[in-house]
Amino acid sequence: MMKGLVKGLGVTLRNLTKKKVTYKYPDEPIKMPNRFRGVQHFDPEKCIVCNQCARICPTNCISLTGKKNPDPESKVKLIIDTFDLNFEICILCDLCTEVCPTEAIVMTNNFELATYSRDELFKDKEWLAANNTNIREENNVSLLKAKRGGAG
Amino acid sequence: MGDLLVQPLTWGSFLTFTVMAVLFLLLILGMVTYGIYFERKILGWMQLRPGPNRTGKLGLLQTVADVLKLLIKEDTIPSKADRPLFKIAPAISFVPSFVVLATIPYTDKLYFANLDIGVLYYVALSALSTIGIVLGGWASNNKYALLGGMRSAAQLISYAVPLVISAVGVVLISGTMNMIGIVERQEGWFWNWNFLPQILGFGVFVIAAIAELNRSPFDLPEAESELVAGYHVEYSGFRFAFYMLAEYVYMIAMSALITVLFLGGWHAPAPFLDFIPGIIWFILKFCFMFFFIIWLRGTMPRIRIDQLMSLGWRVLLPLSLANIFITAIVVEIIKAING
Amino acid sequence: MAIRTEELLLNVGPQHPSTHGVFRIVVKIDGEIIKEATPVIGYLHRGTEKLAEDLNYTQIIPYTDRLDYVSAMTNNYVLVSAVERLMQIEVPERAEFLRVIVMELQRIASHLVWWGTYLLDIGAMSPFLFAFRDREIIIDLFNELCGARLTYFYMRVGGVKWDAPDGWIEKVRDFIPYMRERLKVYDDLVSGNEIFLARIKGIGRYDAQTAIDYGLTGANLRCTGVKRDVRKDHPYSVYDRFEFDIPTRTEGDCYARYLVRIEEIKQSLRILEQAVEMFPEGPIMAKLPRVLRPPEGEVYSRVESPRGELGCYLVSKGKDSPYRLKFRRPSFVNLQILPKILVGESITNLITILGATDIVLGEVDA
Repeated sequence: MMKGLVKGLGVTLRNLTKKKVTYKYPDEPIKMPNRFRGVQHFDPEKCIVCNQCARICPTNCISLTGKKNPDPESKVKLIIDTFDLNFEICILCDLCTEVCPTEAIVMTNNFELATYSRDELFKDKEWLAANNTNIREENNVSLLKAKRGGAG
Repeated sequence: MGDLLVQPLTWGSFLTFTVMAVLFLLLILGMVTYGIYFERKILGWMQLRPGPNRTGKLGLLQTVADVLKLLIKEDTIPSKADRPLFKIAPAISFVPSFVVLATIPYTDKLYFANLDIGVLYYVALSALSTIGIVLGGWASNNKYALLGGMRSAAQLISYAVPLVISAVGVVLISGTMNMIGIVERQEGWFWNWNFLPQILGFGVFVIAAIAELNRSPFDLPEAESELVAGYHVEYSGFRFAFYMLAEYVYMIAMSALITVLFLGGWHAPAPFLDFIPGIIWFILKFCFMFFFIIWLRGTMPRIRIDQLMSLGWRVLLPLSLANIFITAIVVEIIKAING
Repeated sequence: MAIRTEELLLNVGPQHPSTHGVFRIVVKIDGEIIKEATPVIGYLHRGTEKLAEDLNYTQIIPYTDRLDYVSAMTNNYVLVSAVERLMQIEVPERAEFLRVIVMELQRIASHLVWWGTYLLDIGAMSPFLFAFRDREIIIDLFNELCGARLTYFYMRVGGVKWDAPDGWIEKVRDFIPYMRERLKVYDDLVSGNEIFLARIKGIGRYDAQTAIDYGLTGANLRCTGVKRDVRKDHPYSVYDRFEFDIPTRTEGDCYARYLVRIEEIKQSLRILEQAVEMFPEGPIMAKLPRVLRPPEGEVYSRVESPRGELGCYLVSKGKDSPYRLKFRRPSFVNLQILPKILVGESITNLITILGATDIVLGEVDA
């Protein structure tokens, strides 16, 4: 009658000697795999103000403005003036990085985004440009295919 | 200590008693603190996680931090609650669990009271904590608390019966209700300890004791996932700490009682190990019982209230009655053989 | 003079440790016996179906992740397959195999969550941690594959977004025997436990005709003996190439549902084994126009999610966003049976029955 109970007790007793599975975060940082969709990094030099990221965003969290390029030599007509990402509603879906033709906006593997007030979640161009650690390698899949040569 | 008790009361001996009692209270509070810490650590280790390990070295200050948090919390009393009953209920629950510790002999020299009706006194007092639980459930003006209080009243009363009756088997063998006498009868090798001759009584007593303590698998009154917290759902701050304190002190008292009644008290498992002081053996056996109760909590699911009732009345009670009959018959036969 | 008794109106939820989300049941109890139970839902309604009318098809897929957040891959698939059926797109084989592998792994992860939380409701606290430990391995696999741990956004119309990285298929292959071992440990810990069996045998019984009348699907239907599984009756993706059984039991109580779901994990492991063996090379995305404009029409596509039959009804008027998108959510339909089977049960059994129905509030409220 007690056999099932005794077997269960045996399982928990054996677990006393096993290795613990807890991560020691925040004492040791957690390393995310390379494809992890973390907070974005924005490189203002590469942006050509095509507005694709703002149009594709499912929650409309990107707002950007451009201005005329003061440099008459270069082919780029517009350069970026302001670029705001509202992290209150950004769902880190990475559609913006998927459509960006110049990989100006890419994702990093950072996930720590907690702030003490809601205003600080409204990130601007300077903050996004400075967030340049752990940048993800593969961002725009069509550019990736171009590097490999041919579809797939 | 024992000889101080039988002498006439003087101011000096009264002072000694008071100081010893206060020291003992502080010791028990310390034991509860580290009992809670060890429970969380052992449960964590059984679940492949470390348990508390951040506050203080190895998490040793965790319970201290918890008690401090409970102390500085706001003392909320629900608006339509019965205020005097609400305030008194935790105290009623706590006091008996501490008082019964006075009757347990820790070694042959260290005890606080030498009552000839030790076992009866213990059982009578431990039933008083039921009142505290029912009052807490009623006075909270909360349907969940009421359900929890009613459930626990039913549970505690039904399991007090097999508890007492299985202890009677031990009394029959030892011929006395005096706890020191019961322990003295168990000296020698470990097969003299009462748990072997009284194996049926031991099983029934342990199960009934866990039900009396409201511990898993019998923790319906505080079923965390059903009634959200049962009878103490409206208690916060230090009143809640009182209930928790009552539960853990009672756990300590029950483990100590099982050690005294069934596991040989302060006797070593073999006579040649007598050089190790008795208190160490007492503590070892007590720790083993404590660990067993925690181990059950980590493994077993909860029993439903109607199954609990049928287990208490239809299984444990007949078993304990059968235990008394068999013990009585065997005792008579041995007496007849010995002439 | 007789004692006057009244019925008590008790509110279980919306904040309750065992209702699996913000779910509220208003029960009228007499002592501990339930006389009447009324579920109240809508605390998590986010308007997904209405929002979808403004977004184009690729933008809706992240919203579907959040419907049944415990098994996001099947949600992704149901929308994507509806659009593919409407546009008559041929999905490459490697993409289909990746989809099947990912959906079966998701089924195992979802059933592990169900198992852990069900046992936590019943009172045992350790299996919850063991289940989440094993689910962590699956989540890490998904993290490597598509970059997220819960809301994957992995499938696209015409294929999947990422190809499997190097070594990923081997990791999936190593996971299968590990999970089989763990299932044996779970059996030791729980399935033979007498207290557990006494708690769930014979509780919440209903027969096959009731189940069909109420439109139940998934394990809730298969526990009564009706052998219905979308993967076998209307095969989608490449499921017709795999050999697997549909576990059914006949008792119709909570224990039967428990056993059916444990058996489903074993069958998923079987499918995974075969899929990993047969994994082909090739592209992962079909050739598609840049803007997805399905022709005018309506389509209903269905998927066997861990909770039952998940369906997506899509009405398109030729534009790049749908005219109407409706999800047939299994948890929403499955919980309709609660007012019927809860009458006469005690409150403890309410929690047991609710746990065995396996609802996820994200799906109930959409």
